[in-house]
Amino acid sequence: MSRETIRQLLVVLAAVVLLPIFVRHAIATEIWIFAIFGLGLNLLMGYTGLLSFGQATFFGSAAYVAGYLLKYYGIDIFLALAIGIVVGTVSAAGVGYLCVQRSGLYFIMLTFALNQMFYFTAYQWTTVTGGEDGMPGIPRPSIFGFDIHPPLAYYAAVAVLFLVSLWIMQRIVESPLGKILQAIRENELRAEALGYNVPRMKLLAFAVAGAFSGLAGVLYAMLFGIVPLESIGFVFSGNVVFATLIGGSGSLYGPVIGSFVFIWLSESVSTMWARWPLLLGVAFVIVVLFFRGGVVEAWARFWGWRAAHRAPAAAQVDADAPR
Amino acid sequence: MKIPLLVSQVLNGLATGMLYALMGIGLSIITGVLNIPNFAHGALFALGAYILFTIMQLVGNFWLALLVAPLGVGLLGVLIEYGGIRPLYKAGHDYQLLLTFGLSLIVTEGIIIVWSPVGMSQLPPPLLRGGVDLGITFYPKYRLFVMVTAAVLVLGAWLFLEKTRYGAIMRAGIEDKEMVSLLGIDIHRLFTVAFALGCGLAGIAGALTAPIRGLNPWMGVDMLGIAFVVVALAGLGNLLGSIAAGLLVGVAQSLVALFWPEASVAVIFAVMAAILLVRPQGLFGIR
Repeated sequence: MSRETIRQLLVVLAAVVLLPIFVRHAIATEIWIFAIFGLGLNLLMGYTGLLSFGQATFFGSAAYVAGYLLKYYGIDIFLALAIGIVVGTVSAAGVGYLCVQRSGLYFIMLTFALNQMFYFTAYQWTTVTGGEDGMPGIPRPSIFGFDIHPPLAYYAAVAVLFLVSLWIMQRIVESPLGKILQAIRENELRAEALGYNVPRMKLLAFAVAGAFSGLAGVLYAMLFGIVPLESIGFVFSGNVVFATLIGGSGSLYGPVIGSFVFIWLSESVSTMWARWPLLLGVAFVIVVLFFRGGVVEAWARFWGWRAAHRAPAAAQVDADAPR
Repeated sequence: MKIPLLVSQVLNGLATGMLYALMGIGLSIITGVLNIPNFAHGALFALGAYILFTIMQLVGNFWLALLVAPLGVGLLGVLIEYGGIRPLYKAGHDYQLLLTFGLSLIVTEGIIIVWSPVGMSQLPPPLLRGGVDLGITFYPKYRLFVMVTAAVLVLGAWLFLEKTRYGAIMRAGIEDKEMVSLLGIDIHRLFTVAFALGCGLAGIAGALTAPIRGLNPWMGVDMLGIAFVVVALAGLGNLLGSIAAGLLVGVAQSLVALFWPEASVAVIFAVMAAILLVRPQGLFGIR
């Protein structure tokens, strides 16, 4: 491990330990759950260059299926998490199979349209999903007899899963597969010419992203004890794209930072005003128009600016800053 | 099943299908020329309906309302393109797309604040109330009117794109933007015109829908998805394809509603998925 990696790891560990001191436990837990969700999307959006507008499909499907089994069959927590991951992966593979055959605009529209299909299915299938009211009464089983009903206990469990997810994602991004995906992002034709099966690689990225979404979905259902209809809706898909964008897509920690900013802000504002999506929309527009690189880039720019002020020759750093 | 019921359901499907085609064509023009899927398309559809509603409340003239709705939404389209999308030309399409997503939230919430979150209903004008006897079944006049109006609008759009000079430029813009600007045509103005035209079509589709389905702030949500389906099946800038895809989706939906009403929206997306499974390029798509 390089010094840089160790430093980043320490910052993340410190954040995990300190967060519940400053933020309400449920919100702190939601931040890491949303970060897992964002990590998955970022593999598509940041590393492969595929803007998926349908991530809630996998998040919500996993939440509904695992939630249903938890509620009516009282399954074990590990089984629930495994089922969530499998449902996320399988639904993402199915949706991905249809979507990766088309590129660019069609791809984005297909991810969105198929998200709508899942949404309206959940909306109308009231006997199972509860429709607009959601599916309440999701239990939170113990881990090896250890009760995780206290908010801090559940926070700890989620935080561990988040750290594991982050570690796995880092391994994926730095693996040969991760490099191939980045090659596809940079130049799809060239990647194809080098002999890589581009659609299959995209499909693989989709399935991996789906696994992360599925895990996040189950954790979300157990956090609030309900699977709300919104968790499979397109606004939710948009939110995770937005959170990743605020953080800075294309860097491993971007979605983590984005999730922190997004969840913390939206949870604080939504309790104050029922029309808070308006502010969310305004924030979308402002970030897109003026802060495109997200927090990660603003940070890099700040350091570049400082370096430039200390020694003008160091201004070159700014040009190499991650996007 | 009774034949008259079946016939009237098919007619319903054709009427909504024509509205889907209008939405699809508007989106197709925007997406084709500017290269962005307009996520605000559904919200602008709803806005069109609310403008019609308001003009009806204030003036009570349906025809004026039907004229103002697309103009108002089209004007908003000009503002969006000029103030939001234009500064993002260099930033890339992903950001323009996110901008339209943010705008869709703003427009929807704006509707809730200005009007109300509660659904409202809108009567058709007196001239178009009641039904006509088609021989097989009675059918509401207003829906026939919608079918004809939408058909006229689609024909108008086709004439504009195929027979006028600016329409030809627009089609050229869908094919090859660089070449068009090399020929000395103001491509930025073309973008603004295309965006406004697409928004205007969404606005009039919304206005026409109001007396059929009533109004609520989220009425555009399923429309946005359907417009995407139409474009994915038809291919960008393909008018005839959009009409066929719109009608197919509309009729499929209203027939499914006969025996399994709960599935009538999800079936649209299932039809799309099934078609794309067999023909990944869509029904008429080339790219």
